[in-house]
Amino acid sequence: MTIEANDQGIPVDALRRLSEMRPGQRTTLFTSDLSVNEFLLVREAGFRPLGLVLGSSIYHVGFQMGRWSQNQELETLSQAMYHARELAMTRMEAEADMLGADGIVGVRLDIEFKEFGSDLAEFIAVGTAVKADEAHAAHEGFSWRNNQGKPFTSDLSGQDFWTLLQAGYAPLGMTMGTCVYHIAHQRFWQAIGNTGQNVEIPQFTEALYDARELAMSRMQAEAESLAAEGIVGVQLLSNAHRWGGHTTEFFAIGTAVRPLREDHTIATPSLVLPLTDR
Amino acid sequence: MTEWDGRGLPPAAAARMARFQADGVRTSLLDVPGMASVSSVGLPPVGEVMGCMVEHIGWQGFGGCGFYGPTAGWAANWGATVTSGQGARYAGYKPYVDALYRGYDTAIERMVLEARSMGADGVVGVRLSVTHLGQDNREFVALGTAVRGTGDVHVPRPFVTDLPGADVAKLLHAGWVPVSIAFGISVAVRHDDYATLSQARSWGWNTEVSGYTELVQHVRDDARDRFQQHAARAGADGAIVSSMDLRIWEHEPNEGHRDHVAESTVFGTTMGRFHRGPTAPTRSLTILPLRRV
Repeated sequence: MTIEANDQGIPVDALRRLSEMRPGQRTTLFTSDLSVNEFLLVREAGFRPLGLVLGSSIYHVGFQMGRWSQNQELETLSQAMYHARELAMTRMEAEADMLGADGIVGVRLDIEFKEFGSDLAEFIAVGTAVKADEAHAAHEGFSWRNNQGKPFTSDLSGQDFWTLLQAGYAPLGMTMGTCVYHIAHQRFWQAIGNTGQNVEIPQFTEALYDARELAMSRMQAEAESLAAEGIVGVQLLSNAHRWGGHTTEFFAIGTAVRPLREDHTIATPSLVLPLTDR
Repeated sequence: MTEWDGRGLPPAAAARMARFQADGVRTSLLDVPGMASVSSVGLPPVGEVMGCMVEHIGWQGFGGCGFYGPTAGWAANWGATVTSGQGARYAGYKPYVDALYRGYDTAIERMVLEARSMGADGVVGVRLSVTHLGQDNREFVALGTAVRGTGDVHVPRPFVTDLPGADVAKLLHAGWVPVSIAFGISVAVRHDDYATLSQARSWGWNTEVSGYTELVQHVRDDARDRFQQHAARAGADGAIVSSMDLRIWEHEPNEGHRDHVAESTVFGTTMGRFHRGPTAPTRSLTILPLRRV
């Protein structure tokens, strides 16, 4: 009983399920992992959730040794982080494509190292595929999809998505940059010489600068290829994963946006005093 | 203690319902904002309701991938993933999954029974939990707050939702009504074949372990499929997923034969739409809350 799948690795059963969910049929039913607030705001922004979409890849991350006393990027590991995330994202986008979506909101991109194998990690991308209502659907000369013909992706919450659209911006795609970096150990005499002193350790500073700048410039390059005006909601993370103290992944991720119109003002907010603490 | 045949409510629960009907004291598991919100949409709480079931899950299926030796396989082709939803009787974990379904269904059903005997129109803020009691026994508990409409019209079967009171109120304002709790559970098993092992143990290079990817993909797909079928059977227009979990473990049915097993669960609330226009009837206000974040 093998499970048949198409070339993107989506099983035939999933394809059938996705095709039943396409809008405008008797069987249409949406699923979504948005919260109630997010769901209602996405509806109010003029989008309809189509379905929960998901892509995943279990990946064996290779091995690369950093030189003891040298600052360097570990390209094998950087590539692994890129490739595996790319696989997960592409599979999620393929599901959204099947649903005929304009975009995916509330995307979460997670990495989980598994207990049952060393260097095995699951990369997973989950989000809610959405489609614009007839009132402002794609028309001649305008599409919600990005310049690569793919549905837009965004890791913004439903609330942020609503606010962004109110202000006349639209998300284009999630952009990311990663760099796995080995930070040199101090030389013996340097460590001895620094004992009891307050000093900067220049090669540590330089290593962290270098790694972050590489990650951020890669993210920037992705946004440029989408012809974005800018990137919002950037998070700059350092994940040690399982590589020990001196090897760290620097990961930058954000949502690239483009303007929809000239003015970007939103209604003046009213002040409220909530009756709850949270 | 009287003997109970497993039908209807257990004697203790029936006694509590009788006392509720006699004294009319209302209890609730909701917090203050939750209670204020459901009352504001005309569904004040009437009482806390519970359903529970202790189930012995002895036979969990043959537990292997179905592969025994190079020539025979009960269900699986060499290197295939077997999910519990495929209907294979002798491979995978279908009996185990069926037992979980029965556990959750029964707990929810008994909770609804309590709610009905209170004359409720819905149960909000439901929490589902499973406790392992040892010796393959598990307790399934559903706990929620029954609410009853202030008007004259009442529904024959109360709606059930795991959403908190405030969310239920917001949905009703926006023209949606919760219908039921839906869930999808699936377990899949896959033999560690040569290709999988060589990918997972490769040393210096990066590679996707396609066998494991397939395992998690299929088990999630099966669980999502069952979730959706559950929602469709409830006659809903949509469903909000509240949790989606995945667990993987190793299993060695016999010497030199290793499988990986994955269990995926999806829980959520199904909803029906009662507003007719193209957009929701409410408008959000842009506000700036005066508080610390």
